[in-house]
Amino acid sequence: MKANPRDVFTGTYYIDGDVAAAYGALAAGCKFLGGYPITPSTEAAEAFARKAPYVGAQFIQMEDELGSIASVLGASWSGKKSMTITSGPGYSLMMENIGLGAAMEIPFVIINIQRSGPSTGVPTSTGQADIMQSKWGANGDYEVIALAPESPQESFDFAIKAFNLAERYRVPVMFMADECVGHMTEKVVIPDASEIEVEPRRFYQGKKEEYIPYRRDQDLVPPIVKAGDGYHLYITGLTHDERGYPLLDHRSLPKIEKAKVIHKKSTNPYLVDKIRKNKDEIIEMQEDHLEDAEVVIVSYGITSRVAYRAFEQARQEGIKVGMLRLITVWPFPDDRIAELAKKVKGFVVPEINYGQIVFEVDRCSHGKANTILVPHGGASVHKPDDILGAIKKIVKDNKKYEQVIEYTTTLEKTIFKGSLTEKIKK
Amino acid sequence: MTEMRFAGFGGQGIIRSGIILGRAISIYDHGFATMNQSFGPEARGGACSSQMVISDTKVLYPYVSRTDFLIAMSQEGYDKFIDELKEDGTLIIDSDLVKPKTDKKIFGIPSTRIAEELGNRIIANVVMLGFMTAVTKVVSVEAMKKTIPESVPQRFIELNIEAFDRGYHYRAE
Amino acid sequence: MDPIIEIFKKGVESSQCDQKDICMVTDIAYHPEVTDYLGMDLFHTSRGRAIPFATGMKLANPRLKLAVFIGDLATLGGNHFVHAGRRNMDIHVICINHYHYKKVGGEYAPGVFPRVPLSPYGSFDEPLNIPHLARSCGAVYVARWTLLHANQLSHAIAESLRKTGFSVVDVISNEPDILDFYFQHSEIKNGEDTLNVKIVPDGKIIVGQFVDRERPNFIDSYNEQMTKVLGDKFVKIEV
Repeated sequence: MKANPRDVFTGTYYIDGDVAAAYGALAAGCKFLGGYPITPSTEAAEAFARKAPYVGAQFIQMEDELGSIASVLGASWSGKKSMTITSGPGYSLMMENIGLGAAMEIPFVIINIQRSGPSTGVPTSTGQADIMQSKWGANGDYEVIALAPESPQESFDFAIKAFNLAERYRVPVMFMADECVGHMTEKVVIPDASEIEVEPRRFYQGKKEEYIPYRRDQDLVPPIVKAGDGYHLYITGLTHDERGYPLLDHRSLPKIEKAKVIHKKSTNPYLVDKIRKNKDEIIEMQEDHLEDAEVVIVSYGITSRVAYRAFEQARQEGIKVGMLRLITVWPFPDDRIAELAKKVKGFVVPEINYGQIVFEVDRCSHGKANTILVPHGGASVHKPDDILGAIKKIVKDNKKYEQVIEYTTTLEKTIFKGSLTEKIKK
Repeated sequence: MTEMRFAGFGGQGIIRSGIILGRAISIYDHGFATMNQSFGPEARGGACSSQMVISDTKVLYPYVSRTDFLIAMSQEGYDKFIDELKEDGTLIIDSDLVKPKTDKKIFGIPSTRIAEELGNRIIANVVMLGFMTAVTKVVSVEAMKKTIPESVPQRFIELNIEAFDRGYHYRAE
Repeated sequence: MDPIIEIFKKGVESSQCDQKDICMVTDIAYHPEVTDYLGMDLFHTSRGRAIPFATGMKLANPRLKLAVFIGDLATLGGNHFVHAGRRNMDIHVICINHYHYKKVGGEYAPGVFPRVPLSPYGSFDEPLNIPHLARSCGAVYVARWTLLHANQLSHAIAESLRKTGFSVVDVISNEPDILDFYFQHSEIKNGEDTLNVKIVPDGKIIVGQFVDRERPNFIDSYNEQMTKVLGDKFVKIEV
């Protein structure tokens, strides 16, 4: 389906990643934003609030992030594409209801403009340290989709992509930008609505009396209905069967006839299966020069841009290096990494944290290739030279490391033990 | 690749200057311009700055490290960022507000005074943009003249264009 | 069926609202069959987040009427209660106070009088004056009844559903013997100043309808403000 022309602010802009994300969400047909302002994501909410009344969308500043995310879940059940916008501390507060959203299989999007540091951290500086939290931040098993844009233009494009994926798979989608992208101002081209593909909500089409809320067909994603349309929905965060009825020890629901509840199967496995089994359709990567690569840089978000400069320099110096950029960080491209691990010397993983995705890369390489982390504490981005140094180290050492190695300009240490094994001056 | 920093204090239109320049370059001159604002405690009321990386190809590293141009509209901005300016870099200042102590190349213009002559000190940044356009040549005059009307309220367009011209044609001492 | 559900059903019927438009939002589990019994949807949200969940539902589809069932408030989600009242969000809160949590068997909560496992040495905390909180936050309708005042309670629920704004019915409930004790010790004082209806250990439990007033609700105020500023350009959210 094409985007509604009313929702698309076609034109060429010079705007930051925050604003671009809001315009992307609107273009995707987002009609509800429940949020609470938090640096560095506030500009996105402001942009949405300015445009919302022109396109039949509703913005509300809720009382806190707990309320924000709960309102988003409710709004999505009312049949509207919905999202919230936040950063680290707010994101942490939202975790419980992200779990509820995953369990109820609600399509919604969370825009998280990552700041640096744990807790309050540094509100105005960049980081990529929420990336593991985005995967399994709430309790219990579930899977999400996470996207990492590297520019304001991608902020716009990926916001649309995020909504399309959320609606397609009835899943929370995490838009994991970082402060650098959020506050970076660049040219953004918003195309004509006729050039924007949006996924409409997959409403149930059959007979009302035959509707079973969580009954799914081959693609594992059940069709959805709206609240208040006479389906007598029973929707709960309790583990439920395909009717949505809780699967509990019958003692806690004394009046229920045992047979009615117990014989039904839990829908929990589908919360992970609908993503894992459809991952080939979901996963997007950008690959460059992987055919002959001996060293592969695996990166995402703003780090990809900086890494690209290191990639160019290394190629100029004759080093066979390739780029693998994660567009969807979750689900993770396990198979692709495993395949590459068999033929390359090593992976270089720069990220603005002290090591998160690097361990995913290491896990998928099954000990076949080296993995070097180029960590960064935030507030800025990597120096391309640091990434280049790590590439050169793999080439120069030409041996198999025992563990994930951390590479910085001044020292190298093994992670896990936290001990410095050797110090090298660059 | 050209790295540039605008520095001044809140209310001088420092961020706005960056947006106008970046827009002119990336939309009308078809170049690449990535702007980043300096946030943090210093952005509230006191010193503020915006940094810009200009290139013919996609900007990969979004922050400035060694600037080619420093446009200082306040003494504090000058003091804070002068060391970042390359040895052969160019310093552009509001000559009434900044007293430089450097042997680097300097171009000065009393932009705030000119803006006051034009009737509104708030357009000092546009005077400076005109002057900067002439000195740095990182952007075409045509692009700037297309961008400015899009960036200011309708009733101030003429005044802003006049301010830009005064700056552009100012002969630096 | 749970007595409160039966009373609620009577309230819905006498309110003459279309039950299809009503959705129940709760933060504890009810028997799944209540959806067929009442002929409406039920959303069982996370603990304490029923009010903002309902707020989102209401804003995204203003046709809906949201009956929000919550438990002992001002613990989990108290802030949402306060701000839904301030906004005069058009939702209808039915706050069922067991004065200890009946379903999970005696957790300590504000307002506990008897000894329960989590206050093994008796309680000393004062209970919150819920009607007064609701009134001071801006609720347009506030009433309190025990579950044994079945007729008055279903009437109050009907009245509350007819309001367009934040309305609160404080329901005093418990196991039958304690509830009977509460009933015996209640006193009907319609129109009483909510300042005087706090529940104290040795005093009477004041029940009745305390507040019935009009205030502009959130959605009407929003629409009015946007129309004032944007005129024809304002597009309301589709129902």
